[in-house]
Amino acid sequence: MRACAVVASLLLSLCIGCYRVLPGAGGGRVKANPDRPINAADISVESGYAITPVAAGLTFPTGVTWDDQNRMYVVESGYSYGEVFTSPRLLRVEPDGNLTTIATGENNGPWNGVVFSRGAFYVAEGGSMDGGRLLRITPDGKIERVVDHIPSGGDHHVDGPIAAPDGTIYFSTGTMTNSGVVGDDDWRFGWLRRHADWHDVPCRDITLTGENFEIPDPRKEGGKATVTSGAFVPFGTPTTKGQVIKGSVPCSGGLFRIAAGGTAPELVAWGFRNPWGLAFGPDGKLYVTDNGYDQRGARPVWGAADWLWRVDPASPGTWYGWPDYSDGRSVTETRYKGNYRQPTRLLAEDPNPPQQPVALFGCHSSSNGIDFSRSDKFGHVGEAFVAQFGDQAPVTGKVLGAVGFKVVRVNVDNGVIEEFAINAGKKNGPASMLKSGGLERPLSVRFSPDGSALYIVDFGILMMSDKGAAPVKGTGVLWRVTRAGGEG
Amino acid sequence: MRTSVARIVAAAALLAAVAACGTARRGVPIMGPIAHSDAGMHGKVLFMHNCNQCHPGGDAAVGPAINNKWIPDPVMKLQIRKGVLGSMPAFSDKELSDKDVDDILVYLNELRKKKAK
Repeated sequence: MRACAVVASLLLSLCIGCYRVLPGAGGGRVKANPDRPINAADISVESGYAITPVAAGLTFPTGVTWDDQNRMYVVESGYSYGEVFTSPRLLRVEPDGNLTTIATGENNGPWNGVVFSRGAFYVAEGGSMDGGRLLRITPDGKIERVVDHIPSGGDHHVDGPIAAPDGTIYFSTGTMTNSGVVGDDDWRFGWLRRHADWHDVPCRDITLTGENFEIPDPRKEGGKATVTSGAFVPFGTPTTKGQVIKGSVPCSGGLFRIAAGGTAPELVAWGFRNPWGLAFGPDGKLYVTDNGYDQRGARPVWGAADWLWRVDPASPGTWYGWPDYSDGRSVTETRYKGNYRQPTRLLAEDPNPPQQPVALFGCHSSSNGIDFSRSDKFGHVGEAFVAQFGDQAPVTGKVLGAVGFKVVRVNVDNGVIEEFAINAGKKNGPASMLKSGGLERPLSVRFSPDGSALYIVDFGILMMSDKGAAPVKGTGVLWRVTRAGGEG
Repeated sequence: MRTSVARIVAAAALLAAVAACGTARRGVPIMGPIAHSDAGMHGKVLFMHNCNQCHPGGDAAVGPAINNKWIPDPVMKLQIRKGVLGSMPAFSDKELSDKDVDDILVYLNELRKKKAK
């Protein structure tokens, strides 16, 4: 008995500080072959399903859709983390896999997703240069701005969009910052150098606790200068207890809708962090994937999941917790401290009681695009399929193994998550890390109009290091998954 | 002094043992579906809502992989109840009852024992 106690305590003492002692890992910490090999045999899909590449050579693809003639289109974002700018494009994927350019956008990416509705394409323009927009693109390539001046283009961008059966367009906005405070991490992201006045904008009036942070000032040489900065204000601006920040729509971390043919966005829900993926479930509710906090910047939050939320579009206005809740819990709980300063509250009061997520994805998995299976032709009817872009360690925080880089399915009734399409082998990770021809960074998923095939938009290679992100152009792939023997 | 040296040697041996335990992957595409017991299925749901974010599917993320390491149930229970400073939170019996913890361990053991298809 005494020996068992000694062994048990040894095991426990071994684990204490495991996280601190073990070296950091991460799927992007590789030196990738820019000539990305593609081999569907390197991907393990659930038994009874088959995966094939449909199109390759894409540069930073983010979304797929079909027009009313069932022709397939993808968008290339025109921007990647790592401050790499290309031209955002809407492309038609021809039956032989060739690409036809339909529209080319301004230098204001990323173009984060696309949907075809009532004769036109709607694209979320992320706004890294000039702020976010919702665009409408006609089939002959004419681009118009439906919504402009969206507070977006910082760490996260305008996302979505999707269309409801009545033609209402839903889109979302990610927050400018990690957790409410503009910090030196945003200088490294790049956008703070361009826009010193950008900050998060709440969707409703909020009252601050006045918590301020001493932050290194990257604008000054020498590395010793600091500024004092609060939340929801520009970099280097202190706040005071009881200070009210006015809300406005559109705003940061919000979910919006526009009636068919309309231009004025209506707030549906807010308090998200990076609500990248939107999809209607079989219950008529809107399901939202939302990337959780990172361990970086002025107010790091440790151990936050990525979340799947259920939103009732018939009851607009609910707040989903950012910047003071994670996983349905207050960030003031010690579990969110890690090796950093304990997060404290930024809001003096909660707009409403905290919401509970439907499911909790792995920390830093970057769980993004989502769609529901609706047809027995594919199976798993009623389950949500989610693309996990994969960790961006070390920038977003230390991980002990590659997280994400796969497609999972979720039972939204009990929150159970199962792997669906992953790279083969003994370890998890992107193809570049495994030296294979499989999935790299799945970003979006969408079922074909007849429901028989799942399309996976694979962003391509994004390497990571202490210096930041390093994407590789021309390595994006569009994959198709069908029942084995199906054509999709 | 001899006891301390013995403990250090034992710790090193344990570390070596737990470090080399094969793949942590247990996902359906690799292993096929797992037929869980009722307790295991209940434990799976609890795991998804309490443990999955740090140990997705029992693999590594901000927490280490647990599928490929044999850790006795009493030690696992101790870790769940006490946590690990600076990394794993403690779960009180208000959050997870003793039965809940037992069922999570049933799930993890069923997961761990699954052989590749």
